[in-house]
Amino acid sequence: MIEVRDLVYRYGDAGDGGNDGGSGGDGDDRDDGDTKDRGIDGESRRDEPHPNRAAAVLRGVTLSIPDGSFLALAGPNGSGKTTLVRQFNGLLEPDSGEVLVNGIEVGEGLIAARSAVAMTFQNPRDAFVASTVGPEVAFGPENLGLDRSEIDQQVERALSAVGMGGREHERLTRLSGGEQARVSVASALAMEPDHLVLDEPFAGLDWPARERLLDRLVTLHEAGTGVIVVSHDLTDLLDPVDRIVVLADGRVAADGPPEEVRDRLPVLGVRDPASSIEP
Amino acid sequence: MSLAYEPGTTFVHRLDPRSKLAAQIAFAVTAFAHTTPRGLAVLTGLTLAVLRAARLPAGRALWEIRFLVVLVAVPAAIEGLVLGPPWVSIADLRGPALASYRVVLIVLVSAAYVRTTPIRDSEAAIRWMVPGKPGRLASVGVALVVRFLPVLRADLAAIRRAMAARLGTERPLVDRIRIVAVGGLSRAFGRADRLALAMNARCFSWNPTLPVLRFSRVDIPAFCLAAGLLVWAAL
Repeated sequence: MIEVRDLVYRYGDAGDGGNDGGSGGDGDDRDDGDTKDRGIDGESRRDEPHPNRAAAVLRGVTLSIPDGSFLALAGPNGSGKTTLVRQFNGLLEPDSGEVLVNGIEVGEGLIAARSAVAMTFQNPRDAFVASTVGPEVAFGPENLGLDRSEIDQQVERALSAVGMGGREHERLTRLSGGEQARVSVASALAMEPDHLVLDEPFAGLDWPARERLLDRLVTLHEAGTGVIVVSHDLTDLLDPVDRIVVLADGRVAADGPPEEVRDRLPVLGVRDPASSIEP
Repeated sequence: MSLAYEPGTTFVHRLDPRSKLAAQIAFAVTAFAHTTPRGLAVLTGLTLAVLRAARLPAGRALWEIRFLVVLVAVPAAIEGLVLGPPWVSIADLRGPALASYRVVLIVLVSAAYVRTTPIRDSEAAIRWMVPGKPGRLASVGVALVVRFLPVLRADLAAIRRAMAARLGTERPLVDRIRIVAVGGLSRAFGRADRLALAMNARCFSWNPTLPVLRFSRVDIPAFCLAAGLLVWAAL
């Protein structure tokens, strides 16, 4: 269970451009600039408060995500989606409010939080630490200090789950974009998390690759893994997800099952895939 | 191609990384001990044999390290220059040229190592050779460099391509160098940030479970080679 209570997060000083530090493709990856991140040792690298701090990116977000959910976190560019999910496993530290994973405050149990909430990033290539598929997927379990035999089993299971079984020795650079995305998912899955967070997983994928990845996500969800898809495009997601949370201007603007939320999507800056109405 | 690990089943792939490192160190020691035309000729033959065993064509390996070759060749060439005819002094050029060539041979052998050794195996080997915190730091440092260099080179190539596509090649050389350098630096920082974030998300640890390294019979020739080279270096 992920619980977020009254979460407020601000970027760095307003004087230096505040929240324009990102280099992400859709402008939502705004953490790359002046941010307060937290290493695995749990030590905060929070900047000192500044009188001219930029406006809050997240403004009192409260949310509860039970295990086993299939949730789409939607919203226009810059609405705070990526910033929000990066609080779930302590990659970013809130200014106020709290984030609990399985009842434990994230800052007090970073390894537990990062094991429970695994994450894939928008550009899988940026996150690769190895040259070949197997070692890439094994990176997380190795960091958890598991036995080699256990690691091998988890790698095998994770790769099978994304339809990449038996391809441990392939070079990552020789895989297609869709395959790289699936390896990225497998890398997260190998940590056997309760929740899998995918940040814009379909960005840059062609239609068949997108469909294959979505199929895998549905299968994972059916097997009991919670899936959280961060996306500004809900094409094909309305069917499989059981809940949509829409962020707008750093606040939860809509939260509910797809059938309840979809009418409001265009107003909130999210395109309804079944409609010709653009936001 | 870039100098990164390439899975394979060659003899060099099957060697334990520790025996590869031992042979490499012995090779470097010998190259420094015998920086003579005869010594370097023998080591050139050995380098070609190692590259062949690793299935890394010598021409491609040289192309990959071309900037380093230029970097070590230029000082040697400058050493050989004299003011006035005949402009080049072979006697002055000889020593620096041999020293530069020696460096190229050592790097080529290292290229065969990088080509045939997974990053985690290198980490484990370094950790085995250098115990304690220094070993942890060195192994993670080496792993990051091996991981990062090909990515940075690809980034620089991408910047050059993007520049060329917009007729940036028409700009003065200094301007082009500035654009590539500034763009490359900016991307390097961005990539480093994103990589650090991704590693933290997967519980980056200074003390992870590393591959189990095992010596086998195939390592015997590598150790014999290392021992032979060290004996030759000592003579």
